[in-house]
This record gives sequence, C-alpha cells and structure tokens, in this order.
Amino acid sequence: MSFIQMEHIRKRFGSLEVLKDVSLSMEQGEVVSIIGPSGSGKSTFLRCLCQLETIDGGSISVGGEVMVSQPEGKNSSVYASPSKVRAICRRMGMCFQHFNLFPHMTVMNNLLEAPRVVKGMKDEEIMPIAENMLHKVGLWDKKDVYPSRLSGGQKQRVAIARALTMNPDIMLFDEPTSALDPELTGEVLRTIKQLADEDMTMIIVTHEMAFANEVADRILFMADGIIEEEGTPEQIFEHPNSERTRTFLHSMLRF
Amino acid sequence: MDYLLNIVPTVGAGLQVTLKMFVITIVLSLPLGILMSLARISKFKPLRYTMFSYIYVMRGTPLMLQILFIYYGLPFIVEGLELSDYPAAIIAFVFNYAAYFAEIFRGGIQSIERGQYEGAKVLGMTYVQTMRRIILPQVVKRVLPPIANETINLLKDTSLVYILAMNDILRITRSIVQRDFDTTAFIVAAIFYLFFTFILTNFFSYLENRFAVYDE
Repeated sequence: MSFIQMEHIRKRFGSLEVLKDVSLSMEQGEVVSIIGPSGSGKSTFLRCLCQLETIDGGSISVGGEVMVSQPEGKNSSVYASPSKVRAICRRMGMCFQHFNLFPHMTVMNNLLEAPRVVKGMKDEEIMPIAENMLHKVGLWDKKDVYPSRLSGGQKQRVAIARALTMNPDIMLFDEPTSALDPELTGEVLRTIKQLADEDMTMIIVTHEMAFANEVADRILFMADGIIEEEGTPEQIFEHPNSERTRTFLHSMLRF
Repeated sequence: MDYLLNIVPTVGAGLQVTLKMFVITIVLSLPLGILMSLARISKFKPLRYTMFSYIYVMRGTPLMLQILFIYYGLPFIVEGLELSDYPAAIIAFVFNYAAYFAEIFRGGIQSIERGQYEGAKVLGMTYVQTMRRIILPQVVKRVLPPIANETINLLKDTSLVYILAMNDILRITRSIVQRDFDTTAFIVAAIFYLFFTFILTNFFSYLENRFAVYDE
C-alpha cells in the first residue's frame, strides 16, 4: 500500500461534477505536481485530501490509516471518526493561494498558535522549532511584524513556515504563487524546492510549468475532473500523448 | 447658582439606577449576544430559525413594551412569577440588547473570509478553537464602531425604566422640573448623560487604537 492512496475520488457541487473518479497514489518523499486548466478540479482534489472538502465517493488513506472508504457495493463514502480524521489531517500541512495568515497575530504568533492550541505545547517548547522554520524561510527578522506589513512572497513563506512548525509528513500547496507579483514568485518557489530537496512528500497544484518540471517527480495533468495524463515531467512536457495536454501546454507557452 | 448646587445632588442620586442598569446590561448582553450570533448562523436549522424569530421579535417590538410585558404580563403566563422592578427591567434590557448585539456580531463573523477558517482547520484547530482564537478576535475589531453606537444608545435607553417607577436620572429630573417649574434640571441631566457618553466615546476610541496595531 502506498503512503498516500486516493482512489476513485468523486465530488460534486450541486449538479456540477467536479471530480469524476480521480486516483492518486504516492510514496513517501515523492513530489507530485498537478497542472491543468482552471476549473479542472485540481484544487478541489487537493482540498479533498486535507478535508477542506468531503468526498462523495472513493477512498483516502494516509500512511496505512484509512480516513475515508467506500464500502463494497455502496455508492457513497464513509468517513472514519472525526478524531481519527483529524489525526490523519494533522500529518498534512497546507499552503493556500491567498496565504490565510492570521492578520491579528505577529508572524511569530502565527507560527506558535497551532502547536499551542492543537498540540498543547508550551511556548518555550515551540520557540526553537518556530525559530528554526523562520530561519529556513529567511524571515527571522520579521518575527514581530504583523502580516499586513509583508510582501506577498514573504506572506507565503511565513505560511510555509507556519505549516512546517506543526511538523507535517506531507505538504500540500494550492497554487502557492498565483496571487503573487511575478517578481516575488522566485523566493517562494525556491523555498518549496528546498523542501523537495529535503525529501518532503509534497503535492503542488501550480501554473508554473517550469517549476513543476524542475521540482516534481511526477506530473498529473487534470482536465474536466479526470486525470487526462500522468507521467514524469519529461513525458508530460516533452512527449505528451494526449491532445488536450498538448493544447494546454501550448496555450501556457503562447507568448 | 444656589439652585444648581441644590438640584445636582438630587439628580445625581438617580445616577445609581442609571449606571447599575447600564453596567449589568452590558456585562450580560455582550456575551449573550455572541452566543446568540453563533446560534443565528448555526448549521442546525431549528436553532438558527429559533434565533431568527427571537431577534425578529426583540427588534420588532418596542423595548418599553418588553419591559411592561415582563413586569406585568409574565405573572399571568407563569403562575407566581412576579418580578420586582429591577430584575424585570434588567431581564428586558439584557434580552433586548443581546438581540441587537447578536446581529452586529453576526455581521462581523460573516465578514471574515472563509480562508481564515480553512487556515485554522488545516492546522488542526477545532470549531471552538477557531472561533475563540482566530475568528472572534478579528470580529471584535470590525464590530467596535457599531458596538460603541449601541452602548451609547443603551446608556440613554436606561431612562425607559421610569415606566416601572424606578428613579433614574431622567425620572428624578422630571419630578424636579414639575415641582419647581424650572427647566434647569433638564440641562443638568443632559450634562450627566454627556459626561458618561464622553467616557464611553473615549473608551471605545482607546479600544480602536489598541486594535489598530494590525491591518487586515
């Protein structure tokens, strides 16, 4: 059994079927990048993994622990107990397009808050970890600043540090650079690359093709709620099989 | 001048009733209002609808009517439940103001971006933790101006207790005016009210400044 196993995931919003039978299995240390046009369901797929959306059908397990499964012969999925689901989700860190930092807390408190209330850790226990993470993303000097004073790139790096302070096994990125000015994407992508080099298991939904090419072990191209094509960066970017993939990649490089 | 020195202590005696009503109502109705706002946006429909109807009734009828109802009407509905003036007035004020505060907090809570809930959730926080640590502290900043409005309103609304023959500032003032055929007492009362709204105004700008350390 793979480290992350998502099988036959189905999700609909009202009459709109966003995910039609999407599966993904990943090993520890692997980096998967999901690309595809807007509305293809790639963000939704990622959000299903960390419980920001509940799935209608399919199963998810992480590290051998079943979070949600679809019983034989049934048409819908059954979740494990809320505490178990929460425990599994705690193994994942997530970074959003719009960062979602807590504006009423300083950078340092953004990092301390979750270990404090979720894990019940004391500040002096978390402090060294948080300090380490802020150094890692190069923002130690901003520790006492409120998020509104940071640039977009800095905010995203704080968000990464915040997620890492919870010591996750898996990092999820939902278009981490899409809300950034182009000149600020580099600093964020470098930080993510650094995590990849440290063998963090990651799923990255992105529009940065060059970055996906560089950082990912495997690329998933999604379109219309299915995985249209899957393969190594070389396969996808150099020799795409599907016409849709070719059209998409072509449109991304149109200029 | 002698006349003024004579009536100020008399009017001031009404201060006790006014301030007591004000303080007790604020202390009880603010937390109650927060709980009601959470019920008002609850996913559990019966709770949500009950709160909706409750707020509709409390905002849709005069506070004076509610005071009278609790004082005179309640004993007819609940056998033997006769409240004296203070408890009756306080219950009416607390439940009325809680309804208004609930709507203010609801607006504040609903103005917080969904991303804040999601950010908290992926960090493993529960609903209660998210509300207490992430959402409500930000809501407080956003609702301070309307809360200040309602608070100042409340200070003046306490004068409605005259209907239960409670001797607040305004009722005492009125009796002085009727006794002496001199409206100076009204000005004295106005100055009392202005003095306390001055304190409240300053208190709320102090709070707003404290919350101004961060932008959103």
